[in-house]
Amino acid sequence: MTGAPERSGALERPGALERAAQSLEAAGPDGEWRGLSVRVIWVDFVRSLVSLMPAVLAIGVFEVEASLESLWPFALLAAWGVIGAVADIIRWIFTRYRVTENEIERRTGFLVRRHRSVRHDRIRSVDTHAKLRHRIAGLRVVTVGAGQQTNTGEAAFVLDALTRADAELLRELLLQERRDAWEPTGGPRDGDRIFQSESESESESASESEGASSGVPAGAQERQREDIEVLAGLRPWWVVYHLFSIWAYLLAAGLLWGAYWLAATFGVDLLDLSSRFVDWNELGWGGVVVLGLLVGGVVGALGMGVNFFTAYWRFELARVPSAKTTFLRTRRGLFSTREVNRDEARIRGVSIGEPLLWRWMKMADTTVITTGLGLWDMEEPTAILPRGPRGIARDVAARVLGEPRPFTMPVERHPRAALRRRLWWATALAAGVLSCVALPVASGTAPMWLLWAALGVWPLGLAGAVIAYRALGHAIVGDYLMVRAGLMSRTTSVLRRDAVSTIAVRQSILQKRLGLSTVSAMTAAGWSVYEAPDVASSEALRLAAQAAPGLIDEFLETSSPEI
Amino acid sequence: MPSNSNHGAPALDPDVAVRLPRLRIERRAIIWWTIRALLLWGSLLAALLVSMVLWEPARVWLTVPAIVLGVIFLARLCVEPWWRYAVHRWEITEQATYASKGWIVREWRVAPSSRIQTVDAVRGPLEQLLGLSTLRVTTASSSGAVNISGLDRKTAEDAAQRLALVAELSEGDAT
Repeated sequence: MTGAPERSGALERPGALERAAQSLEAAGPDGEWRGLSVRVIWVDFVRSLVSLMPAVLAIGVFEVEASLESLWPFALLAAWGVIGAVADIIRWIFTRYRVTENEIERRTGFLVRRHRSVRHDRIRSVDTHAKLRHRIAGLRVVTVGAGQQTNTGEAAFVLDALTRADAELLRELLLQERRDAWEPTGGPRDGDRIFQSESESESESASESEGASSGVPAGAQERQREDIEVLAGLRPWWVVYHLFSIWAYLLAAGLLWGAYWLAATFGVDLLDLSSRFVDWNELGWGGVVVLGLLVGGVVGALGMGVNFFTAYWRFELARVPSAKTTFLRTRRGLFSTREVNRDEARIRGVSIGEPLLWRWMKMADTTVITTGLGLWDMEEPTAILPRGPRGIARDVAARVLGEPRPFTMPVERHPRAALRRRLWWATALAAGVLSCVALPVASGTAPMWLLWAALGVWPLGLAGAVIAYRALGHAIVGDYLMVRAGLMSRTTSVLRRDAVSTIAVRQSILQKRLGLSTVSAMTAAGWSVYEAPDVASSEALRLAAQAAPGLIDEFLETSSPEI
Repeated sequence: MPSNSNHGAPALDPDVAVRLPRLRIERRAIIWWTIRALLLWGSLLAALLVSMVLWEPARVWLTVPAIVLGVIFLARLCVEPWWRYAVHRWEITEQATYASKGWIVREWRVAPSSRIQTVDAVRGPLEQLLGLSTLRVTTASSSGAVNISGLDRKTAEDAAQRLALVAELSEGDAT
């Protein structure tokens, strides 16, 4: 188990954890306002020093002439670092948080004061991550996910940063608190709970003479560690799935430009250097493009590979029991670590997306459909697996969802009319583009190739129509609704039927002629709407009735009563 | 398995259909949609025509879009309001809110009362002028709202109050 060493590491330093717990206790059941870790200041001090280093190096070691012209990038860098550090210090001074019986509160802001409180039963996830500088200083950034409307991009509840022990304790408090809240016999309040579990662990240590005398919620943690069910770990060969991507070229461009720029500021011209090995004129345009694509591809792929390993180092997906609910926990990262705990009671389903260009290698992205996790977050908290093989994605999805393994079930294909609809739309699109271009080309305002380009839209559109049609599918599997669709990324979504709130059935004129309908199931989680496009109209009603059991029954009637 | 796979779904014969919601909307809504089309699409068309007249070189590029926009404008003005009036219907029961809407693309949707989060009666300036109101029933899903437009102001307020009462009875955080 990859996560264990780090956790026990925190436990082996009982002092910090105990002190934190005691100061929480001392505050009584209502908790006292606590600040962020003072180490944030030190980290910022070091950071601003580091941001000055390039300038010092450039002047001191490489003897770059100290003029505004040559030094502006370094000045910018230094200003960036120093301003960031000062902003951080202001944030440190004005940020306070506390955990009370019912909620966690945070006050922050210098010019605009903000006060945010989240009730314990609204907490969907607790997420800790640490960048390299945090890890060196023993700090953790805690993000509390609390059902904010993810689509509106509401800011998350972030505490940046606490000491590792504090973060650990806070996470324990927030995740375990739920047990107390749900215990029918009126559980102890949070302050008391700490006392209680501490006395428990003390009695344990008394009986076992040594060992468990460590941290505060130790008893709970020991028990937890036994119950943790590891669902997936990192397989290094998954790196193959991360090498090839359009982003590789972007990364390569960034890396190469960065290298060129860095070398240039130290007075080395890389372009000049490279022309010693390659004769640009001899290659010609085609050669340069091919070489560029090759070099860019290789550099980009290497970069992507390194990126994958640093991001997913010691990756682990596990099911962690806590109180009445369980959490799906992922841990990963080499330099900057990240831990996400997702409340399983909030998970409504799983999506597996298969990108079109890489479908031949069975590449799959696996995400959970849940409430309260940001869909637009760059770190993708909903992704429970790194991009990898479809087989493993399906296995893990099955273990997350339980029987009857929806992803292995066959889907019902949609009628041929759905293909006809797509072909019509592709043709209409091509005709539209053509008609917009035709007049200008005919009157000689626009060049001829524009017409050919417009004509080229047609076959592309037709091919897209066939691919999109072949992706369509739907099924009802046990308690789940399964829908599959998508052109660029064929996405299979499995959604719990009891999570479906609104049901909508849509039909355009063309769809009516073809006997098709689109069924949408709305839910609070994930993308909030999951559609089965172009189902046969008779089947649409059945699907709608089954997707939200009992919802539309009262609006059904037999059009011609049976005899 | 906790529930059988056919739970709640009746044995659907081919001749079972979803019936229309029981209530129709106000006739005044036709006027509302007409004025709206005039303001929105009329001004768009006017802007395009003006730019065609004033901006000589762009004329050749804008001819086809102008024709298309003209057709859309006419359809929106003369066809859409009447068609919509024929399609739009609504009904509120103990269990659910049921509404149909649309014209070229029509849609019916059902939102269960147990998942209702907010109920609003919204009135834009035009609607206020005509004494109309839009009933907006939202669920926890950001795209699951049921909008029933073209209701009489009084009807919408009554319906909103009734729904709020129903929604209060159901427990949980409705996600």
